[in-house]
Amino acid sequence: MVEIDENLIGKDVLEMAFDRCIKCSTCKYSYKDFEKSCPSGEKFLFESYWASGRIRIIRGVLNGDLEWTKDLIDPIFACTTCGACMDSCQAPHADYIVEMIEALRELAVKNIGSAENQKFLVTRCEESCNPYGEPNSDNVELKKEYTLPDKAEWIYFIGCTSNYRQKSIRDSTLRFLKKTGIDFTLIDEHCCTSPMIRTGQLSIVDEYMKYNIEQIKNAGATKVITSCAGCYKTLTKDFERFGNDSEFEIYHSLELVKKLLDEKKIEFKSEYNKTVTYHDPCHLGRHMGIYELPREIYRQIPGLNLVEMKRNRNFAWCCGAGGGVKIGYPDWALEISKERLEEAKETGATVITSTCPFCKTNLSDASVHYNIDFQVLDLMEILDQIDINVLS
Amino acid sequence: MTAIKQRNIFEKISKDNVYSKLVEIFGSDCVSDKDVDLYPYSQDMTENKPHMPDFVVIPENKEQLIELVKFCNEYSIPIVPYTTGNNVGGLTIPDYGGIVVDFGKKMNKILHIDDNMMYALLEPGVTFGQLKKHLEENYSSLRYSFPNAPPYSGVVGNVLLSGMTNLGAKIGSMADSINGLEVITADGNVARIGSCFYGKDKAEDDSWWCRYPMPDLLGLFVNFQGMTGLVTKCAVQLWPKEPIEKPQLVVFFGLTDLAPFLREVGRADIVNDVAAFSVEVAKMEVGIPEPVRYPEEPPYTAVVPMSAKTENQMNAKLEILNGIIEKLNNEGTNIHLIDYSEFAKLFNLKALNIFNLPSQILSLHEYSGLTWFGAYAPSHKFEELIEKTDELYRKHGVPPFNYLKIMKGGHYGIFRPIFRFKKYKDQDKIVKLLEEIADVCIDLGCIPYKTPSWLTAKLRKKINPGWISLFEKIKHCMDPNNIFNPGRWNT
Repeated sequence: MVEIDENLIGKDVLEMAFDRCIKCSTCKYSYKDFEKSCPSGEKFLFESYWASGRIRIIRGVLNGDLEWTKDLIDPIFACTTCGACMDSCQAPHADYIVEMIEALRELAVKNIGSAENQKFLVTRCEESCNPYGEPNSDNVELKKEYTLPDKAEWIYFIGCTSNYRQKSIRDSTLRFLKKTGIDFTLIDEHCCTSPMIRTGQLSIVDEYMKYNIEQIKNAGATKVITSCAGCYKTLTKDFERFGNDSEFEIYHSLELVKKLLDEKKIEFKSEYNKTVTYHDPCHLGRHMGIYELPREIYRQIPGLNLVEMKRNRNFAWCCGAGGGVKIGYPDWALEISKERLEEAKETGATVITSTCPFCKTNLSDASVHYNIDFQVLDLMEILDQIDINVLS
Repeated sequence: MTAIKQRNIFEKISKDNVYSKLVEIFGSDCVSDKDVDLYPYSQDMTENKPHMPDFVVIPENKEQLIELVKFCNEYSIPIVPYTTGNNVGGLTIPDYGGIVVDFGKKMNKILHIDDNMMYALLEPGVTFGQLKKHLEENYSSLRYSFPNAPPYSGVVGNVLLSGMTNLGAKIGSMADSINGLEVITADGNVARIGSCFYGKDKAEDDSWWCRYPMPDLLGLFVNFQGMTGLVTKCAVQLWPKEPIEKPQLVVFFGLTDLAPFLREVGRADIVNDVAAFSVEVAKMEVGIPEPVRYPEEPPYTAVVPMSAKTENQMNAKLEILNGIIEKLNNEGTNIHLIDYSEFAKLFNLKALNIFNLPSQILSLHEYSGLTWFGAYAPSHKFEELIEKTDELYRKHGVPPFNYLKIMKGGHYGIFRPIFRFKKYKDQDKIVKLLEEIADVCIDLGCIPYKTPSWLTAKLRKKINPGWISLFEKIKHCMDPNNIFNPGRWNT
């Protein structure tokens, strides 16, 4: 019987690694569909790069079989935490696999550090409150531009990727909110902390969560809308998991769009005559279970021909950006997106669309890098291109 | 690291030089000597002691493996074949270190499906899930015979180790369904065995149709647990897919009522398979956690896949099945037959999982450990096996998890007590029970398959010396430097 250093465990999810998982390999491929689903395992091949291998690494480092050396960095961090393994696994620990990997990363950061460049996610935040290292936008200028009040029912939590890299998604969302007459405003955001949680770097997480909650409260809001799948998952699930339950109602922008459509407060007027395929963002799909809602919206857009990729919904192939892979393993991140774009091409679509600025970033980068010539657009950007009737 | 046995495999060549040679053969991306990469290969779900390999390699073709075998034979370095490590016998744990050859990642191609002579030619890494998908998408009139194993268990490993099937009552052991093999022997030669043996350099894809009538060299590799060569191709039989399927559920209210049922139904040649479980297993299959059997509940149930070409044929089979049950009940048993589809609708659709093969026996994936005493059994001893193991389960306070089958028209049976457990908490308790059950079952004539070495050590005490002597001569002849999966069968 192996002696386990109980002091090192400290987290239920890590204890779970000892009581669960027989390494049956079901996590490796989409369940019953038998398609490749794990970007990490498919790339690096050795068992240590699949979910069940990582669970064994947890056992190894906690029971002393494995020493903390730099050799552990890639098997621990070269994973997009896309959650395909969670969806395929049929065992009772399935829903906790990504949490186990994140907890393992937390231990790794303490013992051997993070993957190359991932530390900048934190140091840049410490300098300017966002992981891109851009001068912090307190959103005051945007508030002026869109004549937004200081206090409102809704906060549009823009998220760092939309505010610093994919401004078109931000601006499309702002225009949509203004057009539909939503009572909203902006706050001086700090990063939602998703990149830090995914990479096991938790030093600023609690402080940032509390800061953002305070800002939202100060604005008098009870509802938060975000156009970023990563922020959405973090605000909805991780805030509570880290003991910062905000009690706000959290909406992804597509949920608001669907609500307004269902309540007949808006209708799509003009046509969008293109064949479009929808890429399920991992943070919205597998992590939050939202698959049909975006599709229902796309189907209501006149002229839009929605086609599905071979791997879709819970079996969707990850874009490759998440889990710290975009910054830690940038070349590989593009390779993963390339596979997704090629799959999208097979559908005959000319537009690949998503509901996550980080997916858009990586898919667009891959499209340029590999000269695939694919138009990558967010749902909000497509809505921005059509006429919308506001009915009440 | 948990140490087992030592064998100085770097006596003739340094570890660094072995690494360089492996990189030369497989490329640096497909070789690792890092502890973190080796660690998952050092252990499996069972009680068998972990041991680290020195390297893991990921081959993609036969030529690489020929070079590897020659090199390892020259320097007496162990080679351990691996697909997914789901054998439930510790068979891919490298007890003496050496090189784990992971076939599952690149040598996993379905090379040919022969629609005419009904076989599939496979590389060693092909999994059940992969084969099922391929057949359903491309050859809808053909089926393979799937075990109640996870979808990503290896087909070739299973047939070479005499694994189970959901056509067991008809065709018997999966090993009987092998048409041919391509094998690299210790000297680096490549042998093709079976009807594919014609042709100097290569065999035609359509030549893997039969195992006989030449001397059956296939026996040198079946159940040898990778100790006699590296299999690089394997042809397995497929079967016509019958259009009418009507699975049945049989419930047994007497403790040993299923024993005569299995024997009778095996002889009748009307069912594809019979998978009989302790009712505790059946309850878990429909989602009841930690179930117990209450008084008056049946101790055993059986799921019986049946198929036919026409409704008339199915009705005739069902008439025979009902007749068997009526006859047995007249003789004192208490057996009931239920339409499984109706049962699943009424109770829990999860119950259909068992027919949606390859499948998870979900309850067996509950914890971190899984082991068994999986054995071929004399079916006339079923009653004694059930009664004696039942006593042992009660003695140890463990719910019974027995799994029985009748094979090949009733010629022999399968008896498998299975144990799921928390590896780091309950293993000692389970191993104690497992050992006692193994002793009882071996005394009653059971012969375990996919046998771990602690169990083959028990067997060797009972096997006739002539068999052991012949077995060891063959092993030595095939593998003079003991490079192929050393330690199996206590070699």
